[in-house]
Amino acid sequence: MNEKNNYKAWIYLAPSLILLVVFALYPLIDTFYISFLKDYNYLTGDSSGFTLENYEALFGIIPAPDTIAQLQGPINAFFEYALPNTLLITFVTVPISIALALIIAVLINSIKVCQRFFQTLFFTPYVTNIIAVGMVFGVIFSHTGLFNAIFNLDKYWVENNPETTYWNAMFVIFCDIIWYQLPFKILIFVAGLQGIGKTYYDAARIDSASKIKQFFKITVPLLSPQIFYISITSFINGFKEYQSIAGLFNRPGTSGNSYNLYTVVYFIYDQINAGSGHNVRYACCGAVVLFLIILVFTLIQFYISKKRVHYGA
Amino acid sequence: MKIQISNLGKTFEGNLKKNIPDTVAVSEFSINIEDGELVGLLGPSGCGKSTILYMISGLKEPTTGSVYFGDEDVTDLAPEKRGIGFVFQNYALYPHLNIYKNIAFPLEDTWIKTFKQEKKIIKFCTLFSLKDRFNEVIDLINNEKRINKKISKALVIDKISFLLNIPYSYAKFLYKYFLKKDFNLEIFVLFLKENIDKEKEKIKQKGFELDDEYYLLKDGNRVPYKRKINKDEIDLKVKEVAKIVKLEDYLYRKPSEISGGQQQRVAIARALIKSPKVLLLDEPLSNLDARLRLETREEIRRIQQETKITTIFVTHDQDEAMAICDKIVVLKKGKVEQIGAPQEVYDDPKNLFTAKFLGLPPIGVFYGKLKDGYLYLNNNKVLKVDSIEDKDVFIAIRPEGYKKANKDDEFSFSLYITKVISQGRDSEVLALNPNGNDSFKIMIRNEEKYSVGENYFKVKPNKLYVFDKVTQERIYLNEREK
Repeated sequence: MNEKNNYKAWIYLAPSLILLVVFALYPLIDTFYISFLKDYNYLTGDSSGFTLENYEALFGIIPAPDTIAQLQGPINAFFEYALPNTLLITFVTVPISIALALIIAVLINSIKVCQRFFQTLFFTPYVTNIIAVGMVFGVIFSHTGLFNAIFNLDKYWVENNPETTYWNAMFVIFCDIIWYQLPFKILIFVAGLQGIGKTYYDAARIDSASKIKQFFKITVPLLSPQIFYISITSFINGFKEYQSIAGLFNRPGTSGNSYNLYTVVYFIYDQINAGSGHNVRYACCGAVVLFLIILVFTLIQFYISKKRVHYGA
Repeated sequence: MKIQISNLGKTFEGNLKKNIPDTVAVSEFSINIEDGELVGLLGPSGCGKSTILYMISGLKEPTTGSVYFGDEDVTDLAPEKRGIGFVFQNYALYPHLNIYKNIAFPLEDTWIKTFKQEKKIIKFCTLFSLKDRFNEVIDLINNEKRINKKISKALVIDKISFLLNIPYSYAKFLYKYFLKKDFNLEIFVLFLKENIDKEKEKIKQKGFELDDEYYLLKDGNRVPYKRKINKDEIDLKVKEVAKIVKLEDYLYRKPSEISGGQQQRVAIARALIKSPKVLLLDEPLSNLDARLRLETREEIRRIQQETKITTIFVTHDQDEAMAICDKIVVLKKGKVEQIGAPQEVYDDPKNLFTAKFLGLPPIGVFYGKLKDGYLYLNNNKVLKVDSIEDKDVFIAIRPEGYKKANKDDEFSFSLYITKVISQGRDSEVLALNPNGNDSFKIMIRNEEKYSVGENYFKVKPNKLYVFDKVTQERIYLNEREK
């Protein structure tokens, strides 16, 4: 490498680097910074030194200072609802949707007739807007909707009604997210499956490996790069879940002034707008917590992947 | 296992909308293969040889015909039930598993019908029976310690298990005791003996007896028992085939970490581990370089003769087939051209295709004529023949079928030599084909001197074959040739 010519590389990289710094790196650092500011006001830019009380308030250790009573509820809801909900949604929907997508992809790959048709069919939800999907699921799960009719139930799933329980609402959220997440995963898995040589399966047949053994001993390991990619991205997406709840309920709780359906991103979004600029610091704290969670889980997955992911099939 | 294939045929359906007609890949393929034979399916690419192999394996279904293994009709049997081993052209080693696991793969989760046994007593008895060789183990461990500062426990245990032909777990047991500070060989042997007696007592208490092969006897009979194959059995078997294919030192590497020739041997080992009745190899050498190919084909021959498994292998390389096969099958466009021992097919080709396909350098082919009891090559009489009807023919002469002659000799003819290539032991001569612009090779002995330009030759009658111009079938010139 010629050291002298390095500046050329920097020039070529400059446009994307500048954009990255302005729109990703600076906001990231600023978020960390704001989350530690005392009495910070977003509109005026005023603050009075550094403190940990924003985090303390977020985790319910102290009441949020300098906040009017009606905004106290949402802040308490972070630790009580938003964090557990986010984790719950992620750890339920991601494994289920990966497993389902894998099974559907294997099935699609094994049929010979109309393979393209089914591939397209299963991909169509991906082009739909998630808010629209949420609204449609809202109709399906309404008291007079399709779901109750098919299973002959008389339950409230999404309405602002005292009978709409937390777990009913969560069930709808899980269905909505899983359904919406499937298509992309299926697409990736089908593409991956088609890259696995047919002779592996011929060899496995000769070796009298059952279909189940073939799936676990050949398909899954040889598809592990795709599974790894999908699991990383969907864990991140799961932690950022917000749109499906907005689409389904258009409110953060099962009933009027409850926040029991909060997620971390929903919380962040609400806090940015609340308290005339005073609550942005809580949004920043929430963002930092989310950042750390995602970081930890991604690192864990990378660690696991070293043993479990096999490249170069 | 004897294999009998009759009238095997395979047609791939075309698609008339896309103007793809039906393709007949194989038709009327029949052959009898004796037990323990090594048979080569030989033909140019696209002749259906791999398709035949896949049909024998059951991975492809034949359109017509039948396949018998011994007396059993296996035509409709699933591949895994046929008791075959298959080596794929690209080996199809599972890239995520190490060599050991690749070889063990076919054995995992297999059910075996056996009789009730007690694991512990087998272990103690097996080790006890090896007590005279424990010194070797001690030497081995000490040796390893001397050579390497840090010894890999697993590798040493593996070496012990190879040395004594015992499973890994037994070797580990030995290793554990032998490394103890207060280890004493005599005490250890006594300890084994004690354990055997203890176990025997336990078995007696349960109401069983023990026979010489450590099966449990109830009222003098072995007790039938169905179970999954256990780790020790897999380990023994893997090591047994690893020894056959000489891969003992590579068991814990991934396929990507070993050479092509080694991968090839892994594929053979995996095919052998279930002790198949039939071994099928699909172009097993085509991914190897020239030198390795020579070595590996000998290796295949050795393994085949050691294991005495009926083997069918597919190749497009006539040299390969000639070198190691008991019997070769020459195929062209899905049809059998000739079946026979390699030398027999070489010496007595039944048609022009076979004559052209076998032999290196390739046979020279010329236009000729049968007329008035003589064979003419370009208006030169080259041979007297028994009275056969006059007709136009192809004359094919093996490169070694020429000898030097003078212009005036009877049956001599001239060829224009363009190049003399000396190859040490013997030489090759490049001569122009009198019928066309191409040239062909002649093998000569070094004593015979040739120079570029016009030269006179005679043919050796047994190296010359005549074929009908239309059917390309062999025309026998004399009675004795047949």
